[in-house]
Amino acid sequence: MSKQAIILTVNGVARQALVEPNQTLTSLLRDELGLTGTKHGCGVGDCGCCTVILDGETVNSCLVLAMQAQGREVTTIEGLAKGAELHPLQQAFVDAGAIQCGFCTPGMILSAKALLDHTPQPTREEITKGLSGNLCRCTGYEKIVEAVQDAAGKMSEA
Amino acid sequence: MLLPSFDYYRPQSLPEALSLLGEMGEDARPLAGGTDLLVNLKLKKLAPKVLLDLGGLEELKGNRADDGLVSLGALDTASRLASGGPEVPGLLAMGAGALGSPQVRNRATLGGNLVTARPAADICLPLLALGAKAVLAGPNGEREVALDGYFKGPGYTVKEAGEILTRVILDAPRPGVGGGYQKLGLRQAMEIALVNVAAHLELEDDGKTVALARVALGAVAPFPMLSPGAASALIGKPAQETCFSEAAEAAAAEARPIDDHRGSAAYRRDMVRTLTLRALRQALSQAQGNQEAQA
Amino acid sequence: MSGNFEVIGSRAPRKDAPNKSTGKARYIEDIKFPGELAGALLQSPQAHAKIKRIDISRAQALPGVVAVITAQDVPDVKYGVSPARYDETLFAVDRVRYVGDEIAAVAAEDLATAQRAVEFIEVEYEPLPVLLTVEQATAEGAPWLHEQFPDNVCAQVEQEFGDVEAAFAGCDLIQEGSFFSKRQDGAFIEPNQCVALMDSDGVLNLHSSTQVPHYVQRTLAMVTGLNMSKVRVVKPYVGGGFGPKASATPIDLAAGFLAMKTGRPVRMAYTREQVFLFSRARHGFTHHMKIGVKKDGTLMALDHRATLDGGAYSSFGIATVYYAGSLLGGPYKLPNMRYHGLRVFTNKPACGAQRGHGGVIARALFEQQMDVIAERLGMDPIELRLKNMMETGDVTCNDLAMSSLGMRECIEAVKNGSGWDQKKGKLPKGKGIGMACGFFVSGAGYPIYRSETYHCTIMIKADEDGGGIVVYTASAEIGQGSETTMAMIAAEAVGIPYEQVRVKSGDTDFGIDLGAYSSRTTLMTGHATKEAGENLKAMILETLAQELEIDQSRLDIKNGLIKISGDPVDFSAIRIGYIKEHRGWQDQPSGDELTFREAARLAYLRRGTLVSTGKYKPPVLGGKYKGAAVGTSPAYGCSAQVAEVSVDFETGQIKVERITDAHDCGQAVNLTSVEAQMQGSVSMGLGEALFEEVKFDGQGRILNPSLGEYHIPTVMDMPETKCIVVESGEPNGPFGAKEVGEGAIMPTIPAILNAVRNATGLVLDETPLTPERVYLAIKKQKGA
Repeated sequence: MSKQAIILTVNGVARQALVEPNQTLTSLLRDELGLTGTKHGCGVGDCGCCTVILDGETVNSCLVLAMQAQGREVTTIEGLAKGAELHPLQQAFVDAGAIQCGFCTPGMILSAKALLDHTPQPTREEITKGLSGNLCRCTGYEKIVEAVQDAAGKMSEA
Repeated sequence: MLLPSFDYYRPQSLPEALSLLGEMGEDARPLAGGTDLLVNLKLKKLAPKVLLDLGGLEELKGNRADDGLVSLGALDTASRLASGGPEVPGLLAMGAGALGSPQVRNRATLGGNLVTARPAADICLPLLALGAKAVLAGPNGEREVALDGYFKGPGYTVKEAGEILTRVILDAPRPGVGGGYQKLGLRQAMEIALVNVAAHLELEDDGKTVALARVALGAVAPFPMLSPGAASALIGKPAQETCFSEAAEAAAAEARPIDDHRGSAAYRRDMVRTLTLRALRQALSQAQGNQEAQA
Repeated sequence: MSGNFEVIGSRAPRKDAPNKSTGKARYIEDIKFPGELAGALLQSPQAHAKIKRIDISRAQALPGVVAVITAQDVPDVKYGVSPARYDETLFAVDRVRYVGDEIAAVAAEDLATAQRAVEFIEVEYEPLPVLLTVEQATAEGAPWLHEQFPDNVCAQVEQEFGDVEAAFAGCDLIQEGSFFSKRQDGAFIEPNQCVALMDSDGVLNLHSSTQVPHYVQRTLAMVTGLNMSKVRVVKPYVGGGFGPKASATPIDLAAGFLAMKTGRPVRMAYTREQVFLFSRARHGFTHHMKIGVKKDGTLMALDHRATLDGGAYSSFGIATVYYAGSLLGGPYKLPNMRYHGLRVFTNKPACGAQRGHGGVIARALFEQQMDVIAERLGMDPIELRLKNMMETGDVTCNDLAMSSLGMRECIEAVKNGSGWDQKKGKLPKGKGIGMACGFFVSGAGYPIYRSETYHCTIMIKADEDGGGIVVYTASAEIGQGSETTMAMIAAEAVGIPYEQVRVKSGDTDFGIDLGAYSSRTTLMTGHATKEAGENLKAMILETLAQELEIDQSRLDIKNGLIKISGDPVDFSAIRIGYIKEHRGWQDQPSGDELTFREAARLAYLRRGTLVSTGKYKPPVLGGKYKGAAVGTSPAYGCSAQVAEVSVDFETGQIKVERITDAHDCGQAVNLTSVEAQMQGSVSMGLGEALFEEVKFDGQGRILNPSLGEYHIPTVMDMPETKCIVVESGEPNGPFGAKEVGEGAIMPTIPAILNAVRNATGLVLDETPLTPERVYLAIKKQKGA
């Protein structure tokens, strides 16, 4: 089967791409659309580095076919900041020191965003459950949880 | 990690899907959430020539309640099941909520979990305990299959290659019914259970006597299994520690665990006992809570 | 503790954080070169076998394949980590020694073709006996993995300090115990990957996800036969390392050869499974200790035996086996210590260095035995530790000098911070509290290869307009925050705001830096950065003093402003000159004080581009005995932790509910980064204590080579962690700073072990403490 054209919305913008049937959404975003903020980690859904938001829900983009994104809406880490202004979650991660090697960060922030979109004022338990699909080996997660709490507070004030 | 080459079809109706499946036979694999299938493709455990994406099939979506029965669409995701709702029994919500991670729950489906049929599957166990039936659509129409008898081995069920699992049918949640779900793993998330147990209790109107009970065990047999001994230790008895202990013993005796790198058979058997007891206590508390709430 | 600092000790936001938060930060997989080829490795499916024949013809004939190389195509050069134990070749010459041993590499137009070509290479194996355990490898008549290492002994250490037997004779109490740990993995989230390409100067460029650009450059040069100046290694952002990325990988070398052969860029990447196969992570350790004390708790002697299951090659193992002994020299006064260490080759992937190199399990057993001793003597464990701990100025029996040691402060901090006195002995059934201390080097005293080289060099260049400075360092930012640390040190040394410093790092063209390992970067690279900063400042002030015709000693720079002591000085000519040069700009300097910008611009105008340098190597350190090079360091960090746990007696599950952690880092350069290292250490320690184990089947194949089945902690597994930073002021460290990256992991495992013991009464001797292990121990205890 040859490449097929798909149309999807990425970070609010309609995009077209020619994709192979065996191409993953990670590959579509990184290799075709140049959105390399989506990290390619384990490839089998164990680490959460490739997390993106698909129609409002987080998914491991390594386990979604590019073809399955046809007609759908994808938010990647590149879609959060407004110009030079960081999204409150990004700013909170920077301020709290929640970023070390940074490889898990895009996926972690997107999981946090999906959580806050559904639950604007989460408890600590809701935060840890919401981030439990994103492995981080550097931080011990403490400052990540603090950052999400901080961002939730700031976003509700705004 | 690369996926092998395959063709991709996305039929728009169940008849179209069944006809495609009929044409392509064993070369095709239905694709639902992909959290298992795509991993197996990447690990080169499977190499189908065609993936048949079921995502466009309306027949596999949506939940319906009718005449004391609930019909759940095969494409219901674990996330949606975990968030509950009037049609979703509490026990099923618990199991679905214990599956994988949020990202996996957002993709993994009820039907996929049943077809993949892993021995510790977090959705299969509650459904088995709830006495659910799977609806299998094939070239000659639909058939209903009770889950007790549906599983044949790891990744192997009575579903035939030309069939698609479309829906699951089970009793609607009602007063006096409760479930308990216990999962033992190393971590608090992203775990395949070392042992898991789903218990379902239905109480008589007296709120004490067990009218019906089912205990499903995971990771202790080649597929999710029911413990008939546990059920008979419970039915007709007052729901309390004495018969819970007997049921737990029976479950431990009937479990068929093996030694593997995740745990020894002996440990698993002991854990069946402990988790069954805990699941029954949880089920009782839920059943009594339901009854009181209704009263 | 903090001195009068402008930048040091603050919580400055990390330089790399904004780009990492938006996805702009580039890791190796995000950097593409035109015309790239994809490489793939053929790795042995057999754990131990002779290679009878390799046939690459079918692979070569596959359309899209550009090159296939085996041992025949590369120089026969052995390499490794320690030159005394070079025992690896890039490709197996005549036999394979573990499942994963490299046999051949392919470069093709795309990855799928490269992987298919690998499957087309035919290898005929003649199986040899597979030795998977230390017992099998040391059994009578076992085949030797390497001809140069008789009886499969990679390294053997015999050390005695003081007179251990005489000391035992005078002891009132002898405590003995053993401990067994499993092989573990670094589990950094970004798998290793690299791209190699030749540039137009004939230089082989390697871009790689590594902790040690310099050592990779050196190994790649040696193996290819190129001069060091013909090899450049560039490290983009790296997704974690923790030790296993501290040496050249087979893909670094294979990509280099393939790029030389094809003339095109070649990318090679490990899958997660290949990360496990390459390993170079934590050894499986077996320890036995006999500890003698006086009635009052005074530690008198330690007799310690350790056996390390090393895997198929030496890697860092010689250092590991020495560290396993030497790091017990502190943080307690221990006048007599004997150590017998043995590292054995087995047919498994080679083990190497991982956070807390060599010392973690030895520390776990020692601290567990300290608790047992305290109980036998009727002492509180904290009292026993306070009684024996060293203080600043002490020297261990194996000649490690404590130039600063805030051990008491750490112990008291966790005692108070955890509410120890309110909890110890007063917790309900199933709950427990335990504490432990730790101790680690602040940089290895010697390079891995014997040399008088500087351990790091720094260049700082001032912007010609005076707007700021750029620090050039070959050091490796791997997530620990070294770029930020160097920016802060440079800012403090020059006297300018942090925001005016940019850091370029991770490129061997920028100088020498031994890399991110042994917790060396803050102290060592920090020293060199401080020196370069001070030199730059001196250059600027020298010019300024001449221009103002005053003595240079009257001048200083603070927070971007020139401070002139004594009588007022007229600097208007300099300001007018600067303003005239910058007509049209809106941000002209104003105010009563001359700015760094004006002074640095003036210095440029008078002397050309301002470049200063700095360098560091440790002074000659103590210890003349064999092996003294491992463990000696310019400084030592120390730490204490209290763990609180609950134990489910019916399942054996342990939940760590709270950790109180104190670490003496000398002086926090960046307080947030220090806490971040402490918290990260706790999570790795917790994973190793409870979950992590690389498992093998009977043929030497890894059973759980994935992050789904090799369990590192998720956010839901982490307890509340309270961090207390202790600052003892290290005289040998830049601005008083020393390590935090590895010492912080030392107490975690024993603190958990001791808390579990407090909850259950069990002295558990095997990690990870899986539910099954704990359950079986509880059952055995009940039965006994």
